[in-house]
Parts: sequence; structure tokens; C-alpha cells
Amino acid sequence: MDKKYLKNGQFSEFIETLRLFGDLHGPTMSDTGVFAFSPVSDPSQLRLDYQRTQIPPKKYLLPFREEILSYREGNYRQSHHHTPEIILFGVHPCDLDGIAYLDRVFLGDSPDPCYAGRRARLTLVGLSCVPDDFCFCSGLAEPPTCDLFLTLQGDGFKVDALSARGKEIAQAAKDLLSLEATGATVPLQRTGITAQDPQLRFSDNPLWDKFATTCVSCGACSVCCPTCYCFDVREYPSLDGGGIRLREWDNCLFVTHGEVAGANFRGSRLERLRYRFLHKYCGFTPLQGMTSCVGCGRCKEVCPVDIDLRELTVNPDQGTESP
Amino acid sequence: MTRPKLAIAGLTACSGCQLTLLNCEDQLVDVARLFDLVYFPMGESGSDPDAVFDAAIVEGAVSTPADVELLFGLRNASHLLVAFGTCALWGGVAAMNNKVSGRDELVRQVYGDSGRIESFPPSPMGNFVSIDFAITGCPPEKHDLLALLAAVLAGTLPPLQSYPVCTECRSRENLCLLLEKGELCLGPIIQGGCNARCPATGIVCEGCRGPVREANVAQELELLLERGFDRKEIERRMSRFTPEWDYGKRR
Repeated sequence: MDKKYLKNGQFSEFIETLRLFGDLHGPTMSDTGVFAFSPVSDPSQLRLDYQRTQIPPKKYLLPFREEILSYREGNYRQSHHHTPEIILFGVHPCDLDGIAYLDRVFLGDSPDPCYAGRRARLTLVGLSCVPDDFCFCSGLAEPPTCDLFLTLQGDGFKVDALSARGKEIAQAAKDLLSLEATGATVPLQRTGITAQDPQLRFSDNPLWDKFATTCVSCGACSVCCPTCYCFDVREYPSLDGGGIRLREWDNCLFVTHGEVAGANFRGSRLERLRYRFLHKYCGFTPLQGMTSCVGCGRCKEVCPVDIDLRELTVNPDQGTESP
Repeated sequence: MTRPKLAIAGLTACSGCQLTLLNCEDQLVDVARLFDLVYFPMGESGSDPDAVFDAAIVEGAVSTPADVELLFGLRNASHLLVAFGTCALWGGVAAMNNKVSGRDELVRQVYGDSGRIESFPPSPMGNFVSIDFAITGCPPEKHDLLALLAAVLAGTLPPLQSYPVCTECRSRENLCLLLEKGELCLGPIIQGGCNARCPATGIVCEGCRGPVREANVAQELELLLERGFDRKEIERRMSRFTPEWDYGKRR
């Protein structure tokens, strides 16, 4: 039988063991009181009681802004980012789902080299959570898509190694783990949101107009979404005659997102909201029929005008979820 | 390669935008080597009245007949005219009281009864001439100016960015001053690109970069009113850098 229980008393030492495998990052609280994944120099900085960070872990794989190539004298070369090995500790199941989705997008048929390079050096240590009023995830994927998963129970954690990397870490920490369970795991009620019918975006639900009127297009919902990955690509010449091409997070709620020479695919805010709904809850080819909403609750929490696109899945006449 | 000829000029303004160029200390030698600074009174270059320019980079609002004359002259003499900074683009701080006080009264207060100065309410240069490119900001960001210069050198213009301050602010994991602290922050309706400089240090967005293209002004107004701010106070803050807001605009 595997030794897979970690008592609270061994926690700090366990964290120090993780550090042997790379730079340790985890949920912390910033000086201004914002939960954020950031470098951890002392285990006491870790906030295991965090609900959700403002920016999801996608920032480790797809930074807000990055140079993707540079050019000079008619030649260009891909930019190389020297990412260190990072151990990301304390990722909740919703964010693990978010990364699993991004992996499908960026590591699919033609892998994105910038993303792939960072992903290969990112070790994920998951952590169970207790949902709050904003949460609506579908629960923990089986098996969880991470290297190591810690389930809070009693006076410690159950530790599951789920990849070769995870087993390597568990092996290194074996003297800290015990056979004896630390307590019972509390099963959690999860609601989730299933993939929606694409036609629902053309419904005559009056909420569409309400949302289109009140949305301030601040972009926070998308910036803070663990699965929003759209980016803008821009090229800047430099004074030395060369130049760079960079990519930066873009947002389907911005008027520029659907703009092409002479026209705009989605000129009104209503059309942009419908498009966001389509992508988020219905999925795009080849991920059609797959919701990319992981239920983390960030979009609702950060929206200045309390927009919740999920409300559109409820039929206004019957107050029940549409089939 | 011929060096592009530049004019760098100011209308009614504080010269802070032009100073942005002089603050690009690491690039100044390159700029002087790569460009022909034909007209730059603030930098003490000569001012050839018959000169023609590849680009005229002009700061300031238009508020005197001399401003109009200089602006028309530069427009006629330059291939590209760049509105440089918030005053040039939106009117800026000089125009903040356009709606509340009469020009004659202001002139009298500043220059006395005997003062004779021809002045009219400051307004953006786009009200007088066509503009080819604009760099916003009070003052503008250095990197925006350098991107323009490099693009002119390459025979093009820089790509446009259009998103509100909130986008960069959230991405930097700042505390939301509007939602979490209930402060009068203009982030949702103001053009980003400043990397949320002020909110990152705990100061609300004052709107120095002017409106973002699709600003939902009516909703921002509504949500500030809901949070208990006085309409006059909101308008005073919003008009600090941009006097002309359409408070009913939703898209």
C-alpha cells in the first residue's frame, strides 16, 4: 500500500521538498490584498484558504504580452524564452481543467512553441477546495489533470501522484508521508455547466439586450478567465532597422476583435456577447460541443455590472434550464 | 538612406509631450542620427519657414490665432501630421473648464483688465485639420513615441491598440479600486496602453489618456452614481482631460 498521507506537521518540509524540483509558486496574497499565484520563498506565504486568484494560472503558459519573433535584415527568428522549471502549488480543480483545455488548444495539431516550451517546464500540484457562492464547477476530473493532487482531509492531506513527475516528487517526499489516513474527505456538491446549443445565442431572451446595454467592455471577464486565450499579434519596427512581433491577450468583447479592413464581423456589443457565449459555452471547431467554462466564478466576481452569461441558459418563461 | 525630416512643435500646452522625446535619453543619439530635426523650437533647432516635413509631431490644444496659423502651416508642409498627447487629441487640461467659465472672464482674471490677448476655448486639433496618427497620454508614454519614430523610418505607422485601462490593470493583478474600494475610477472608459500606471500604485484612473473607442459612458456614469458619487463630481473628474463627453453614449 502506498504511503500517501501528509500530516499538517510535515507540510512545511513537504513544501521545501517541492522546491528541489523547480522554482516554487503558489497562491499568495499581494500587498494590496489580491490573491495571486506568485513566487513563494517561505511556506508561510502560501494561502491555502484562497478561493480564487484574480488571474488564473494561464499567465504561466500564455503571458499577457510576449515577443514571439524578431526580424532584422530580411531574416526573422523565433524568440526564445528561457523559462525555468516551475512547480505551481495549490491549483484548484477548476484551474486544472482550464489548463487541460488550453493544452488541447495550444498543444493540438500544430503545437504553439512558446506555450509548449513553458508547459514542458511546469509541474502542477493540485489542491482540493471548498466552493463559495461564485463557484459552479463540475467537480474534479478523474483522474485530475496534474502531476500531484492534494486533498484536504482532517489534519492533513491525501497525496495522489498522477504522473511520472508526480511519482518522482512523492518518492523524494516519502519520509514525510505516512500510511495512516489523516481524516475523511468531505464530498462536495458541484453544479457545473454543460455545453449549450449554439442556437441559444440567437434566442430572444431579453437578457441579451440588458447585458449589451450594461456591459462596459472593460474586458475583465476575459482577462481573468482561465480558458480565454484569444490574442492579438502586432509588429513594431525598431530604430535599429529590425523589429519585433508580439502577441498580447485580446478580447472578443472589444470592437477591434472582429475588425478587418473596411468592416467588422461583430460591430455591436450584442453580437460580441453572443459570440462570447458561442465560444465559451458551445465550443468552436474542433472543440465544438465542449464547454470551455470551468466554473471558477471569476467572470462574475470581477464584472462591474454583474453580468452572468449563464443566466441565458435558463428559460425566462419557465425558470428552468433549457434542454 | 535619406533621413526623414521632422517637425516637433507645440500649440497651447505645457511642453510636457515634447519633453517626452528629450526624456528618451537612451535613444536620443539614434534619433538625431536617423532623423533630420528640421523644426524643433523647444530643442533650439532652426525654423526654416519653407521647410517640408515627412512628419510633424504636434502637441497642444488650439486656443489662439497663432496656434491655428502654426497648425495650418505644419499641416500643409508635412506628409504626416501626428496629434501628440491628450491636449492635441482631446483638448486636455487647458480645456477642462470650457463648459463652466466664459473665455473673456478667464482672460481678465489671468491677464488683468488691461491685458490684450486673443484667445478662444481650447479644442483638439482634429477640429481644424485632418490628423494621420495620434499618440495619447498626459504625458504620452515614451515607447509610443519611439514606436512612431521607428515606424516612420520603416515607412509605415505603428499598429493601433484599443482597450481600456482595466484590461492591463486586471492583468497586473491590481486591486480593483472601483469595485473593491468603491473609488471613483475611470478605468473602464479610458484608453489603456499606460500599463495601468496609476491604479498599480493605488491611485484611481483619472482619465489622462482620454476615452477608449467604445466607451460605455452612460453605464460608467450609472455605476458611479449607484456607488454614491455626485453627478457634478463625476463630470468634473471626467472632464479633467477630456471636456467633451457624450454622457448618453453606450457604444
